[in-house]
Amino acid sequence: MTTQTTEQLDQRTRQALADLLLAMADDEFVLGFWDSEWTGIAPVLEEDVAFASLAQDEIGHAQALYRLLVDLEGRGDPDLVAFGRRPEEYRHARLLDHPRTDWAFSVARRFLYDTADAARLDALVASAFQPLAGVVAKMRREETYHLLHMHAWMERLADGGDQPRSRLVQALDRLWPDALCVLAGVDDAPLVAAGILAEPLGAVEQRWLGGLAPVFERLALPFPFRRDDDHLEPTVAPPAGCRGPDRSDDFRWLWEQFTMVYRSDPEATW
Amino acid sequence: MSGQPLQVFEVFRREREGGPMQHAGNLLAPDPELAAHYAREFYGRRQESVRLWIVPRAAIRDLDDPDLLQPPFDRSFKKPAGYSTEIKRKLAEARARAGGEAGDDDPVVASCRKGVEQS
Repeated sequence: MTTQTTEQLDQRTRQALADLLLAMADDEFVLGFWDSEWTGIAPVLEEDVAFASLAQDEIGHAQALYRLLVDLEGRGDPDLVAFGRRPEEYRHARLLDHPRTDWAFSVARRFLYDTADAARLDALVASAFQPLAGVVAKMRREETYHLLHMHAWMERLADGGDQPRSRLVQALDRLWPDALCVLAGVDDAPLVAAGILAEPLGAVEQRWLGGLAPVFERLALPFPFRRDDDHLEPTVAPPAGCRGPDRSDDFRWLWEQFTMVYRSDPEATW
Repeated sequence: MSGQPLQVFEVFRREREGGPMQHAGNLLAPDPELAAHYAREFYGRRQESVRLWIVPRAAIRDLDDPDLLQPPFDRSFKKPAGYSTEIKRKLAEARARAGGEAGDDDPVVASCRKGVEQS
């Protein structure tokens, strides 16, 4: 299925596909901006460069996804979608409404996001919507490296003595409910029916959690799920409005920052 | 950081297939795993490398003893350039000897000429 052939999709499926693309793009975009906040102040110079580079990768992924959305809708401009909306129009997961906070918090947030996103990408790499399958194949190559980087940091903070560990535990306790939003807030049934998404988001979530369970067990970190046969049942509830429209004051501040230049002259070319 | 002291890693990179591994620079990391991550960002994030070697500086045998590397005696005879100077001098002499009547006083050249005349 190419962008041209998606014109034959019914209205609900097309809308669901557009919502999925926007949700994924906004996730990557907002995470990229939050993590770029560490530029100049990461724990060591080397991590500063590395984390900023990871953040830039996410902005690149967002750019490719906004482009798919604009092509699908046959109108618009990726920059306008990225920078020309009000804060309440963004569709990123609640997990990405938090500020960078401290280093352990940013590591925990990125780890939860990257692992959930990896499970989501797995379900899209053979997508019947070929333009998305192509972008996802490229994203996965970079995300593999991001995952290694974040695994390394989770292990080091978990085993890094009292303060790093307690800060990591505190961050995970705070983030877990909102992390459940990454694989929520999209009308997945028509996407599965059309072969755009390989399995329902609930199944993607189970794969994600199944992969995380041994890691959290080994590191003895908070993992708020109850095992019910092969099913992992959350013991915390995701918040209402997983993908907006209500937005935190922290996100509104970030929005002011990342749209500042665009708003100063929307007609300018760069 | 992760509780371990930072150590220096030296990084070597290959710019394109078939090219030499060349010293790129160094970085600080608490362990080889993070060193590899940082090396990738420092020397690979702009696709400027096809291969990296990340070596703890402590693993490098450092040699800078002047008695070994800059010995006091003339070592020009160990340099190819030493021979080439001598060979160039001999060539110039041979050319001078040859003069206008090239090869007249050379028995090898003379015998070759004889052979050509007989055929």
